[in-house]
Amino acid sequence: MKTQMTQLAREGLWTNNPIFIQVLGICSTLAVTNLVLNTTVMCVALVFTLSLSSATVSILRNFTPHNIRMMVETLIIAFYVIIVDVILKAYWPQMSDSLGPYVGLIITNCIVMGRCEAYGITNPPGVAFLDGLFNALGYTFILLIVATFREILGMGTFLGFPVPYFSSGYWDKWIMMVMPPGAFFMLAIVTWVFRSVAISKQEKEK
Amino acid sequence: MKNKRWFPVFYMFVATAFFSAVIIGFAQMTEERVRANQAQAFEAAVLKVLPGLYDPNAGSVELHRRFVEQVQQPGDDSAGAYILKEGGQITAYALPFTGQGFWAPVDGVVGIKADKKTVTNIVIYQQRETPGLGAEVAQRKFCDQFIDLTMTTGDKPIVFRRPSEPLGPGQVHAVTGATQTSIRLEKIIANALKKWREQISAAQK
Repeated sequence: MKTQMTQLAREGLWTNNPIFIQVLGICSTLAVTNLVLNTTVMCVALVFTLSLSSATVSILRNFTPHNIRMMVETLIIAFYVIIVDVILKAYWPQMSDSLGPYVGLIITNCIVMGRCEAYGITNPPGVAFLDGLFNALGYTFILLIVATFREILGMGTFLGFPVPYFSSGYWDKWIMMVMPPGAFFMLAIVTWVFRSVAISKQEKEK
Repeated sequence: MKNKRWFPVFYMFVATAFFSAVIIGFAQMTEERVRANQAQAFEAAVLKVLPGLYDPNAGSVELHRRFVEQVQQPGDDSAGAYILKEGGQITAYALPFTGQGFWAPVDGVVGIKADKKTVTNIVIYQQRETPGLGAEVAQRKFCDQFIDLTMTTGDKPIVFRRPSEPLGPGQVHAVTGATQTSIRLEKIIANALKKWREQISAAQK
């Protein structure tokens, strides 16, 4: 179990990272990463949704008829996402407003469906949960890197607090970074850097 | 049983019923809170458009107290607008408006001075427009254009112009790249103000 867990963690966070290796879930990566706080909440929502839907899909895997499995998966994912949405609306309305439709759009986040299909539907619940969890964490850490750069360069703040130098008059804020194109640039750079590191590491291991 | 032709339909039905039931139960549990949050957002919006009432540092309890104590509920002579009075004299109105935006309803409040011609401020407290585009109508950058704007007497009390065009009296710039939201919002605001103007002049005659 322990070796399997390390294996899943390694894959989800690094060797099979959903963002820079599988290139899944890019839509939300581009959409919510201009503020670190919004990104964090989005990531927490995804960790919750992905690990639990993967586990639930796995629990039902022996009963679910093969030909309607994707409908069932969508239903399960939508179930968890609506729960997150209701929680945010009730207990954190400001965040619910600023994330707008993106929470609901987790339903269509390719990572969730992708992991349910690739792993949850064929593996026992425990490991399916871990696979979902580590993939979501792999997504989270890349998104946080993208968001940190975008917020600091574009707004001069981090989590809303002014960052020395970047919030002063010396730094001409790169408004481009908080606009949608900034996300494309950052994502491309992050993917490039991490893939280069991953590839050079693999070659060394050979 | 799993090989029966009706099984997938039955399975989907049961699964949907089960998950829906849990969500309905959960939503009902939090319904009161959600409604309280919405009421709070509305009250804050009314306070923001009435001069001198809103304080960004005040807590929600304090804001609710100000709303209850200082803002008068809409009466027959205010045509649906909330009223702010000072020394028995009406100083401003806060008129709620609502209408269909591009994706979902847009709810807001517009403040009007006692002369019934000058807008004090506008707040959009609920919308689900496209983030970064249509959703910009809820941002201060857009709403600040309405502060101290004088309405025109025409069919549209406030006219939205394209961002590149020069502004005349009673005009504001629409949001770049959000044509649909802008067109709808212009209509929502124009209809609300026109209707209010007609009703209030009839009521106060």
